[in-house]
Amino acid sequence: MADDKKPKKGGILQVFKDIVYGMSSHEMTRHAVRTRASMEHLFILITMGDLLGIPILPPYYSLRLLPYVVPQISSWKRRMLREKDITDALG
Amino acid sequence: MNSLLAVIIGIITVYLAYTRYARRIDRNVIQSDPKRATPAVLYMDGVDFMPTNRNILFGYHFKSIAAAGPIVGAIVAGSLWGWFPALVWLVLGVSFMGWASDYSAIVISVRNEGNSLSAVAHRLVSPRTRTLLFFFIFFYLLLLSGAFVGIMAQVMDSQPRTHLGMIMLVAMGLLLGQMLYRWRLGLLPATLITVGIVLLAILTGSFTEGMFKGLNEFLNSLTGGAPIVTYFDPTLAGFKGAEAKIMPSLLFWAIAICIFCYAGSVLPIWRMAQPVVYVGFWITALAMILGLLGASLGTLIKPEVAQFQIPAFKGWNPQLGPAGIMPLWPMLFVTIACGAISGWHALFGSVGTARQIENEADMLPVGAGSMFAEFLLGLLALLAVSVGAKGGSPVATFANGLGSFISVWGLPIEYATSLAFAAFIVIVLVVTQLIFRVMRVTLTEWLGEIMPPLRNQHLASLISVALAILLVLTGTWIYLWQLFGGANQLMAALSLLLVTVWLVSQGKSWVFAGLPMIFMYLTTVASILITAYNLYFNVTIPNIRAGRILPVVGSGLMVLVAILLVMAALFIGVDGWRAFLKYRKRPSASPQAAPARG
Repeated sequence: MADDKKPKKGGILQVFKDIVYGMSSHEMTRHAVRTRASMEHLFILITMGDLLGIPILPPYYSLRLLPYVVPQISSWKRRMLREKDITDALG
Repeated sequence: MNSLLAVIIGIITVYLAYTRYARRIDRNVIQSDPKRATPAVLYMDGVDFMPTNRNILFGYHFKSIAAAGPIVGAIVAGSLWGWFPALVWLVLGVSFMGWASDYSAIVISVRNEGNSLSAVAHRLVSPRTRTLLFFFIFFYLLLLSGAFVGIMAQVMDSQPRTHLGMIMLVAMGLLLGQMLYRWRLGLLPATLITVGIVLLAILTGSFTEGMFKGLNEFLNSLTGGAPIVTYFDPTLAGFKGAEAKIMPSLLFWAIAICIFCYAGSVLPIWRMAQPVVYVGFWITALAMILGLLGASLGTLIKPEVAQFQIPAFKGWNPQLGPAGIMPLWPMLFVTIACGAISGWHALFGSVGTARQIENEADMLPVGAGSMFAEFLLGLLALLAVSVGAKGGSPVATFANGLGSFISVWGLPIEYATSLAFAAFIVIVLVVTQLIFRVMRVTLTEWLGEIMPPLRNQHLASLISVALAILLVLTGTWIYLWQLFGGANQLMAALSLLLVTVWLVSQGKSWVFAGLPMIFMYLTTVASILITAYNLYFNVTIPNIRAGRILPVVGSGLMVLVAILLVMAALFIGVDGWRAFLKYRKRPSASPQAAPARG
């Protein structure tokens, strides 16, 4: 299992490409992902707020949306409930 | 001395420090375990916590920590004390302190569920320490922004050939954001178009030099050639001190830079901040790679550009102004910041990089490896300033030196120097706009609860910009830089303090972090007090006598910030010492057990 997650070996060229990607584009990618996650989490908060004890929408709509939201619930809860501070803005 | 020899010394330093010291600490003290699950794996959310390939993470971490610090610090130190002390500090600093600070900040976060340094301080030391750290960070960012805006305004004011390139950098950054996120153009063509145009504008900047010189003259004629602010600058006239003038053109460029940073702070990050950083990356990477290779091979291909021109040693205590002191210890150790050790690296590593570490075995190559790469960048800056003695101001000296290295590859020297100037400004500019963004967020988070208007992003940004401008108008940039360097290095010492306490709490040997912490703590507190002394006697007093209000207010603000920083550091030090004694008597039973990988 652990072996499956090892980065693919591609020799020195792959290493070079990874480093250049890391320097040039990884931060942009992270910001894009973060922006999408913020929108998605806001949406889940609006529709599924009762999972955190915030009753917002009638349960009927929540139930209709639930199957689409299920895969993200665990990471959503973690992000919403995790303690954050000023220094998180640096990362 | 020549640049090839210095590069060889640098490479040997990296090899020995990494293989003989850093690896040993990683193996014997930290005992990194590839089978232990990291926070990125345990708490993967696809956003902040995301296991990432070590090579990508190395590039990401290096690029995030490599700003103007290693470059400006080496330039200033080389011109104050000579190249030899600067080289010795770079080599010893990175070997025994720099890598340990970067690496251990990542380790402490990885072993504490991905928590930031402030969160670890709250849990391990005391809640007060966390609050003091927030306070400390804001003033640290303020000094950083003031120092960067000041040096950029000076360069832009005195080098009209750089203006076209910088204007095109901003324009192409905006265009790139539009291309990528609105027009959905591919990254490769968008990169080729925008980077190509900016590069062309930089290289042809000399053709528009006359036009921008005319603009500066026009601006200065608005006050009839009279300065906006006059102040006593002890760094002028060969460090004997003289009257300095802030002309309207300098203020214009300082405000232009701040408007750019304000826009970067309040616009969506994809619209401006990120694309500008991306385009700027390629420009600086090109200049730095060509420069480093040129410095290495220049001795063989073009020996005349590789010989050191500045003295090896200029003295233990260069006299700055009538009353200023600049002793090699502690001032050298804060003047060269990021190339040897830096608090910024620790701050960023604990929240940005640690949460993406896929495997504990990656902590060393990513954390320590990036610091060693940063050291090479600082070394390149020192080489450039050491060979480019005809430049005049330290930045011009650096640009001439780097331009000489680049010219080894056949590019005419005037174009190569333009590229070097542009690379310097780009590095500082892209970092400064991000600093203002973080300052705005910090101010809002810090004081937003008790002062609701500060939750408004425009107001928070404007306050940050206004404070930075005030520091710039104070003049005497070198003290501002050294105050920032002191705060930055003190941040590294505080990070090492937390690591030391954590190591003791885990029953591990704390020496590799504790000894650098003690040295940096004493050095930085002493340097901040000396800078406050210099500011008071060299800037505040002469300007009070001359009846000038603005420099007095600005230097008074800097003295106040210096005292506050020292007080915050003393409180944190006392709390840390108490925690150290507590854990030394009774360490936690065993290192927190993390689940093994699946």
